[in-house]
Parts: sequence; structure tokens; C-alpha cells
Amino acid sequence: MNILVLVKQVPDTSDVKFDERGVMIREGVQSILNVFDQFALEEALRLRQKYGGEVSVMTLAPEQAKTAVQKCLALGADKAYHISDKAFGGSDTLATSYALSLAIRKAGNFDLIMAGNQATDGDTGHIGPQVAEWLGIPHVSYVEQVLSIENGRATVKSILEDGYRIVDVELPALFACLPPTNFEYTNPSMSGIIKAKSKPYTWWKADDIDGDKSKFGLNGSPTRVLKMYPPPKRSRGTVFTGDYHDAVKKIIEALMEKKVIE
Amino acid sequence: MSDYKGILVVGEIYDGKIRPVTFQLVSKARELADTLNTTLSVVLLGHNIGDMAREPIYYGADKVYVMDDQIFEPYVAEVYSRALTKFIGNLKPEIVLIPATHTGREYGPRISAALETGMTADCTDLVIKNGRFVQVRPAYGGNIMGEIITPNHRPQISTVRPNVFKTREPDRSRTGEIVQVKPEFDSMKVRTFIKEIVKTTVTGAKKLDEAKIIVSGGRGVGSKEGFEKLRELADLLGGAVGASRVAVDLGWMPKSAQVGQSGITVQPDLYIACGISGTIQHIVGMKDSKVIVAINKDPNAPIFNIADYGIVGDLHEVIPIFIEEIKKIKKK
Amino acid sequence: MLDFTFTEEQEMIRESVREFAQKKIAPIALEMEKTRQIPEDIIKGMADLGLIAPTVSPEYGGQGFDAVTAGIIAEELARADVTGSIPVFYLVQASWGHIFDKYGTEEAKREVLPNVTKGKWFLGIATTESDAGSDVAGTRTTIRKEGDHYVVNGEKMYISGVREAYTRGGGHITIAKQNPELGTRGMTLFYLPLQSKGIIPTYVDDLGREGISTGGFTIDNVVIPKHYIIGEENRGFYIVHEGYEYARGLISVICAGAGLQSLERGKKYLKERKAFGQPLAKFEALQFRLAEHYTKLSFLRLGAYWALWTYDQEAKGKATRFEVSKAIAMAKMFASEWSNAAIDEVMQWQGAFGYTRECPDQAAWRAIRSFAWAEGSKEIMRVIVSRELLGKEYISYK
Repeated sequence: MNILVLVKQVPDTSDVKFDERGVMIREGVQSILNVFDQFALEEALRLRQKYGGEVSVMTLAPEQAKTAVQKCLALGADKAYHISDKAFGGSDTLATSYALSLAIRKAGNFDLIMAGNQATDGDTGHIGPQVAEWLGIPHVSYVEQVLSIENGRATVKSILEDGYRIVDVELPALFACLPPTNFEYTNPSMSGIIKAKSKPYTWWKADDIDGDKSKFGLNGSPTRVLKMYPPPKRSRGTVFTGDYHDAVKKIIEALMEKKVIE
Repeated sequence: MSDYKGILVVGEIYDGKIRPVTFQLVSKARELADTLNTTLSVVLLGHNIGDMAREPIYYGADKVYVMDDQIFEPYVAEVYSRALTKFIGNLKPEIVLIPATHTGREYGPRISAALETGMTADCTDLVIKNGRFVQVRPAYGGNIMGEIITPNHRPQISTVRPNVFKTREPDRSRTGEIVQVKPEFDSMKVRTFIKEIVKTTVTGAKKLDEAKIIVSGGRGVGSKEGFEKLRELADLLGGAVGASRVAVDLGWMPKSAQVGQSGITVQPDLYIACGISGTIQHIVGMKDSKVIVAINKDPNAPIFNIADYGIVGDLHEVIPIFIEEIKKIKKK
Repeated sequence: MLDFTFTEEQEMIRESVREFAQKKIAPIALEMEKTRQIPEDIIKGMADLGLIAPTVSPEYGGQGFDAVTAGIIAEELARADVTGSIPVFYLVQASWGHIFDKYGTEEAKREVLPNVTKGKWFLGIATTESDAGSDVAGTRTTIRKEGDHYVVNGEKMYISGVREAYTRGGGHITIAKQNPELGTRGMTLFYLPLQSKGIIPTYVDDLGREGISTGGFTIDNVVIPKHYIIGEENRGFYIVHEGYEYARGLISVICAGAGLQSLERGKKYLKERKAFGQPLAKFEALQFRLAEHYTKLSFLRLGAYWALWTYDQEAKGKATRFEVSKAIAMAKMFASEWSNAAIDEVMQWQGAFGYTRECPDQAAWRAIRSFAWAEGSKEIMRVIVSRELLGKEYISYK
């Protein structure tokens, strides 16, 4: 079983703040491995343990994302591909997924490609399905678990808003993964961290992957960000601090007046 | 680019019915179509669609394309994306709206890649500014809003979460055209197969995104049992019970009850937040409620900054008073 | 070359330990003072990550970490566990695991160390007696050779982890007099399993770090095999000092980490809490205190890592024993005092709440207070530094 996991480094969104002009305040914001991707990786490592084979990770990101990739290696991935070039600057999801699909073709034949269902920064959920489309392979989103792999097919559990589906897919396929509630993320062990240093780490530039370079980066991105701004604030209303009975009565009166309760 | 005309809404049929989000998108698309002075079409994929095809017209569609084939049942991403790619490629709409449901978010991005055009996920608003289609969406866990355009590619594709847009009053006298379309595929080989579909939603929770009143609880509720009181108040008001992510993570409420960034978006008339501090991730999922009431021990809880009415206090004391007062009024 | 950065790997180690410690340890820290033990799943989690005695070589289940890297783990554990229990559990085993690894026999290392690093056994240090603390030469416990084994008699007191080793397994690196007439040159160090026949434990009620036990044990004709001797016979006094230096270095980092973490909590409180119509953080008197304590503890932290670095330099032949002793003693001299002063300040900001058992800072205060004497009192640190400055001939005692 040859598995590739697509990963991304993201700012920890619980720390992220923006100024009035919509510019991110970088100070004090930690960069972390997207948790959805970590779940995909842990699921891939579980599959490797069960079915054997190799787990590779790939990212398309500036050099500093290496720490997130190193974390994947420390958690147990066997090797890493890091595609980094100024030519990819300003990529939207279409341009990113295109470049990733080229790099995947170059990296070799994978039975399974796993990715986080979405990244916590952009939150688009586009990359998985788009990469699958570029590669012409089937995919399933919202995958909570890969149940089994047999005879070139995988059976997965995919979450719906009101339940789940058990889906059987021909390999190679891509699974966009969503951690179950309460998923316990693994911390890299000390020995994993030490071993990570000596694992194969391949750097590729834009010139190293074959494809239509006009589809890279900002030029290859159909979407443009017009502007960013802090979300509109609702203004603070009346806050009661005294007697509960009095407060409740006043609120109910107001609610009735506004006809939100009858 | 000028070949691309009109707005297309991809409708979703789920459990044999058109999903409400379809009508929400049609309602919004009607406004956009009027502004742009263009036509609004809806495409429905499914099997035995029959008279359902008329419904989008009541909400403002000019034309409904129906692709009725057993291959669409049950839903599979690769089939939907292939059929829609072909259809959209032929129709050439300038704007395509897709529901940001689990299914829409699965097949949608494949279409954008296949057509090599721009796509914007989870839009919270769609506006026409100086003739340009502007897609508004949150990012970074709702900490920032972005305005996205697709200047040189068509169609411009957006996905929109359920309950972001309001549904218009249906006009059953409205007429429009229904066009049957034979689905076309570049390849008929289907590699995905649905073995089983299991529904797990607990009773009462499903109506959360349709409820007019929601009583929602967070860490402050303290326990699974603590939610009983919230349910009592919700039942009394004819509403549903929601939860913050923490309450779900702690196992007090099912995932399907989670309101917020990683849960569902709600827009009720009344949202009562009990023991919810109001992280930005929660707030993005409920901030468009008409009236927000917050009960929290911590006077500095951010939830008070967006609440219309707040009570600083212990919800375990305040909720019973609420229940008691509502009961009194009901008696009258 | 002067470079204050940690390596990429060390940064990853810090991040992994921090995530684990903040997620698993911080929420249950105060709980440990009630249950009086470190929860089993925490010990298992630490062992799985490789955090127990990571200074031991990989062939015996450790990570082969140097002192600086061991210090990083100590700091993160101290920042998460306000009771100081896990930092003590960690530092004792990291320090004495290192000594066992360096001076123990192959047979003993194979038998003991993998069980320690796996979290099954506890490895401690037993030098102190009721009448011999900093003055190790006052030791009364004896060891005598009898054929192919040794027999030990005596009593140890104020020892960390007695219950842990007595109930879980493991034991303490123990010092005893083999040739009393030779004074400090006649002391031998050996591994003493606490489940040996002839050991009776006793316990004391500590003021802090209550998640780990403190106690003593009587040693009544306990038989020790030859391969349990650590280092050569009669060299115990010197080896034990090396281990204490390691522990003192880690303690200095722990004091800095715990104090800085307390200041973090205090900083948040100053911003949130309002008095006389404005946040406390707006009062300059409090701002200055915060700035002073933060500065002192930051220097303490730097000094502590520098001392551990000096220890690592000795292993590379780039520093002498004396330089290490002095650096470590300087790092520990003010460690507990400065840390306690900062934590005390944070308790003061919190008023009445700061004086309750719910306040995490009071637990940190009690824990840190122990390091004013533990593993070498602050007075002894002054003795060491002045000895290195003036020369041995000026030692004021014999």
C-alpha cells in the first residue's frame, strides 16, 4: 500500500487576529500542522500498520512550512515532498490543486491519496476534490475512517449532516478526511523526532514538475481577493447584572414586544 | 466570456425531497438575476423527480432543467460532477450557485477543476457591485471576511451554506419552463459504489436548522444532564436545542447539534446562548439570529458583545426562572 | 560564536512536550495534590513519548538526550504542572538515569533502565539521612563486602519517590560508607531496589509537590549483588556530586519555567481584572513589578540553560569539572528565591483568591519553595561558587 498524504501548515486560527484594514497580526500567532491533515496522516499510518507499505507526505508551500512536514515525519511518515517556489505565490485552490496533481504524478504511483477535508485557515475544502479531478481518480469527502482495503478497492465511512454513508471505491482514490469528535491527536515522540531528521526530504521547484506553467501561481488563479475586512460587529445590547427574576421578566417582555415569542 | 449568460442554481434532492437550501439559493439568485437583468435556471439531478421540478419556479426560477436517471440515485460524487460539468459546459451560465452541503462540497470543487474556473466556498453573501459578481466569505475561523471575484473566467462558481439566505414566500401561480435533459458523460465507468446509508440524527436535533427558536448550551451547562433544563425551555418555546463545540466535544450533545464554524449555521428568530462564552467560531454560526439572549457567569464573556439581552449569572438558576415565567404567560 | 537558538529538533521536542503537557497534565495538576499520585495514564503518556529518563542511551530505552534537551522537557513540564510533582518525577529520573547509564554495570543497566524509561519502575536517589543532608560526609549508612555480594545497613530520610519505587518497582541510587576511616573517599554508590527484603518505608507530609511521595526507609541487612555497584567502590562521593549537578541544572530551569508561567497567568489577570475603573495592568506600580520579575526570571532561564550547556561541554572535553560546578551553582543560587518572589507577587495581585487552594499559583509557590534546599541548598551553592573563586584553601569548613 503506497499512500500519499497532502498536508498544509496553517496559522493557529484560535490566535489569529486582524487589524482594522484586514491585515493579519502575525505577532504571537503559531504555525501548526492543519489538524484535519494530521488526522489524515494518522489514518494513513494506521493503514500502513495494517496493510504494510509506505506513507509519503507532500506540501506545496513556502520553505518555513518544513516544520509542519517534519512533524509528519516525526509522527511516522516515511518520506516527504516539499514543493516550493516563488512561481506558486498567490495560488488559489485551482492553481494549487493543479500544481499538486503534477507533483503527485512525478512522485510516483500511489494507491491512496489522503488529505484533510479542509484547512482551518482557508476552510474551502476544495483541494482534495480538485486534485482528484485533475488526476482523474474518484474521491470521497468527509471520510472519518477507512474501514478496509481489499482487491484494489477501499471501503470508507463518510459523514453526512444527518448520518453517514459506507462507500466502496476503486483504487487509486483520494479521501478527504474529517476527524471524529474527540479524536485524540498523537504528539510526536522523542524518538520519532530524532528519526525524522534522517528521512528522505525532497525539495522541488516549479521547474522540477512538468506542466503548463501558465496555470501556476497568481496567473493561474481565476479568483482574486478584492478586499479583506473584520466581520461586522453586532453591537452590545442590554446586560443585566442584578436580580435574576427582574432581568428575566424584562427580557421576556422585550421578546414579546419584538414578537419573537408569543 | 460574453458567451456566458444567466445564473444557474444546482438544486439538491435529498431523501426524495428538494433540500430547503435549494430554495434559499433560488431566492437569492432571483435578486441577482433581476439586478443583472438575466435569467435564472435551476438544474435538478435525481430519479423519479416528477412534479418536484415545478417547485423552484415558485421561488423565482425561470427554467428548470431536469436530469432524471437512475444513475443519480443514490448520489455519488464522480457521477454528479461529470454530469454537471458536461451540462454546465454546454449551458454556459455566468454564475453557478451550489449548496455547501456535505454533498455539494464534495462534487462542487471537481466541477471547478474540470472547467478550470474559479470557485469560492461557503459564501455568506453574494452581491453585484458595479456590474461585478462579488462573493463574500469568512476565513481563518470567521476572524476575517474576504470579498472574492473571478474576473476573467466563467462560470463563476460559489457554494453557499444552508440558512445563509432567507427563503422567499413561494408564489404558486408563478410559471416557468421545465426542460428534460438527457445526462451526458465523457466516461460511463463509475468507480464509486454506495454500500449503505445510515441516518443517525437524534429526534428533535434535525429541525435545528429550521427552528425559529434555539436554546443552545456550552461549557457552562456542566453536564449531559444539564441539557435537560435547556430542552425543557426549548420545548416550552417550541424550539430546538443546540450546542457549542465544547459541549459536543465533551459528549454532552451529538455532533448534529453543534452550531458554529465546524457545525451548522443557524438563523433563528431567537437564539438563547446558555453558558457559551462566544468564541468567534461559535459566533459565525449564529450571529445572524434576529435576537440573541446570552446567559453567562463571566461578565467579560464575548457573547455579551453580540447579544441583544444578557444576564450575568448562573444559568442553572436563571433557566428555571425563564421556564417559570414562560409558563405563567402561557397560562394567561 | 554566541548563539542563543535551540536546534530545529529541540524546538520540535519543546512543541511536542508542550502540547502533551498543556493538554494532559495542566488540567489535572491540582487534582494530584488530592490523590497524592501521578495518574497512571500520564506516566504511560510520558513513557510513550519518551519523556522518562530521556538522558539514558537508546540501547537501554532512552533517547540519549544531552542536558540542554533534558532541560527543555523539564521547563515544559514545570510550565504545565503547577504542583511540581511531575517535574520532580522527571528530573530525578532524568538525572540519575544519566548517572546510572554513565557509571552502572552493563548487567544492571539492562535489568533496570528499560523498566525505568517504560514508566514501569521508578529510579530515585537516596543520599540524605536525618543527620546528613548537604553534608554527605555525615552519612551513617554502611555497605560491606561479603564474598561476591554486599550487605547494607542504615536509614535514609527525605527521599523523593519512596512510595513510587516501593509499590511500582525500581529503587534508589544510594550512598553508604564502605571505609568510614577514609571519609568522603570511602563512600560507595549502588543501586538499591526498594522491594528488597529488609527495606521498610516511612513517609513524610510535604508542604508541596504532593503528587509524588517523600519519605525514607530503613535498610536492615539488605543484600546487594556486585553488579549493582555504580562506578567504582569508594568513588561514590564524587559520582553523586555529578548527579546532583545535573539535577540542580534541571531544577534551575524548572524554577524559571514555573515562575514565568505564573507571570503569564498574572499578566492575563492584570489585563482582565479592573479596579478603580481601569484594568490592573494600567497601574504603573504593578507594571514595574511584572517587568522586574519577568526580567529576573528570563535571566535565570538563560543562566540555567547556559549551565546545562556547560555540563554538555564537559562531555565534549570543552569544559572542566570545576567550570561545570560553578556554572550550575550560579544557576541554582537564586533560582527558587526569584521564582518564589515572582509567584508571590502574582498571588498578591489576585488578592483573597490568591490565598485559596483553588489558585494554581499557591501550589507553584509551595513546590518551588522546596528547591531552596532540595538537591543542594542555596547556601551550599554560595559555598561552591566562593570555593571556585577563591580556591580550596579558603573553604571555611572541613
